Amino acid sequence: MNRKVNKKIIKAAKDTVFYLFLTTLIAGMLLPVYFIVSLSFLSTREAYRYPLPLVPALKTDFELTYGENGYILSVWDRTDKEYQTVLDTNEVEKMEVYIKARLGTKITQEEIRAEIARLENSGQESIFFTKPRSLLYNYDTFFKVTRDAVPALIRSIEIAALTILISLSIGGLAGYAFARYIFKGKDALRFSVLFVRMFPGVAIALPMVFILAKANLYDEPLGLSLIYSVGAIGLTIWITASIFMGIPKSLEEAAQVFGGSKLQAFMRVTLPLALPGLAASAMYTFLGAWNETVAAIILTQFKPTFSVVVYQTLLGAQGNVNLAAAGGIAMALPALIFTFFLRRYINQMWGGVTV
Amino acid sequence: MVATRSKSLRKMWGQATPYLLILPVVIYYAIFWVRPVIAVIIGSFTDASGVFTLQNFVMVFSDENFWPALNNTAIIVLFSVTIEFIGALFLALLINRKFFGSGIFLFLTLIPMALPAVATGAMWITGLTAHGWINSLLYYLGVLAEGEKIYWLGGIEPNPTKLLALVIIIDAWQVIPSMMIILLAGLQNLPKAAKEAGYVFGGNFMTVLRKITMPMLRPTIQTAVILRLISAIQIWLIIVLLLGFGRIPVLVERIVYYHEEVPGLNISYQMAAGYTIVVSTIVSLTALVYLRVSGAFKKEETA
Repeated sequence: MNRKVNKKIIKAAKDTVFYLFLTTLIAGMLLPVYFIVSLSFLSTREAYRYPLPLVPALKTDFELTYGENGYILSVWDRTDKEYQTVLDTNEVEKMEVYIKARLGTKITQEEIRAEIARLENSGQESIFFTKPRSLLYNYDTFFKVTRDAVPALIRSIEIAALTILISLSIGGLAGYAFARYIFKGKDALRFSVLFVRMFPGVAIALPMVFILAKANLYDEPLGLSLIYSVGAIGLTIWITASIFMGIPKSLEEAAQVFGGSKLQAFMRVTLPLALPGLAASAMYTFLGAWNETVAAIILTQFKPTFSVVVYQTLLGAQGNVNLAAAGGIAMALPALIFTFFLRRYINQMWGGVTV
Repeated sequence: MVATRSKSLRKMWGQATPYLLILPVVIYYAIFWVRPVIAVIIGSFTDASGVFTLQNFVMVFSDENFWPALNNTAIIVLFSVTIEFIGALFLALLINRKFFGSGIFLFLTLIPMALPAVATGAMWITGLTAHGWINSLLYYLGVLAEGEKIYWLGGIEPNPTKLLALVIIIDAWQVIPSMMIILLAGLQNLPKAAKEAGYVFGGNFMTVLRKITMPMLRPTIQTAVILRLISAIQIWLIIVLLLGFGRIPVLVERIVYYHEEVPGLNISYQMAAGYTIVVSTIVSLTALVYLRVSGAFKKEETA
């Protein structure tokens, strides 16, 4: 009896240590991600404070007093723990613009006028008030201000879809051949994945400018998806081969015994069974095409992909890192959602084929 | 006779099937991979007017940044592949234990892999500047005194060792997940019986890992390491995002540098092509040596 209790305690203690360790590990790994997410919610003013606030503010505290040019607007600075003057003006519109753009805070001109009236009626030297932050301000601005963000987003989806279509149809056939047949050149096919990767992708993209231009595909989504498919096909062959290997050949043979043709057997038996794995492979391709930046920079001009738009914001917006952060997060979101679904298919995707 | 003919036709058709299935891949690679590769190879052996020359390679090897680039690349590859392999194997072994919540733990560890390069770049740039979140965090933790700052990316005297270490850590952070999923798939496909037998015969965790798990996992390890090795030699984007061109020169960065940064020069295309061939040769040789040393070719012969 006593022993049982002891065992339980030891197990509980072991579990606690184990989960503590896991939590620390994850916290360490995801710390940088936390900060970029947090940065994407910070106001422009706070994004440039040092030390940087650890969490985004949900509200902004203001102090309003009389000044030389009208009224002095001060905001509570979380870093220095004091009210700091930001504006000295009597133009309500100027205040509104500043509060929205620099502080990412919701306010209307009427509200500002009401606060001014309150200051004057109170007879005191200063009054204080608090307004809620608009947390999605950076995201909103990123899509509004950044020329092309929305069309680029649609274009990126289009490119990823085309890449999936090309690589899954071409690579899937080869993957099936790899899983089911013994033929000359099988090893060559296996190593082709590696082979294609040995030549720097950037270097391929450079001559491709001319080749695509000749085919009128330069700066076109289809052109880019054709390039992405070169790398994607190789991985698709590996992954689909792995998936088809996991489906017993005997099932197909059984269908043929019952009078189906080979094609029918494949369409009715193997394909439905392979579908989840193929979907996982497609998501993997999507991740690659969606995230790719370098070839997209080289091979687009007036029709950039979403990753290029984010890249340009990052380079051009030295004054607005919080905007770039919002763009980066907006870009990472679909990739994260797909990864969430992918995690269940790791075994099916990578279990079969090795070098 | 007709029957036998149709039979032999069918047999021929059956033998042709796999080739027909891989034909699209072959055609695709021929158009979109072999063609540009040949264009670059030709470019590397000709001068601006298209006459055969070896001058491009002479220029590459006498480029003042070539040897530092080679050196930096070698250091990055050596350390990052080692660190990433150990980290990925550790995580894969951990997740393979299938504890409560291992599914969600797996997803969380995969997050760095899902982040686009530009997002990762933004993340580390905003972290590593003197006013960035890393220094802020250290300040809140009490490591840095008020007004004290660590100049991660600069300082008065740039220290390549420090910058290289940063690049290696950042690369490891991003790459470990993708290496881990390959190893994890391999682990999950190992027959449980072998491991259990190891424990039954008195092995502890370490001996079972060393004597049973690792040898059985070898093909998977080869796959994971070779894929990583190939892409580690070609690392450049994160370096340029963090430090710009030329501060820590690496081989592929030189290709982009000559093509994108100095396009006006009439030797820039030749330099870029020359560097491309040098990089590809190095990658191929390294891959070949690794596959030979790790015994991947032997496995084929016996299979």
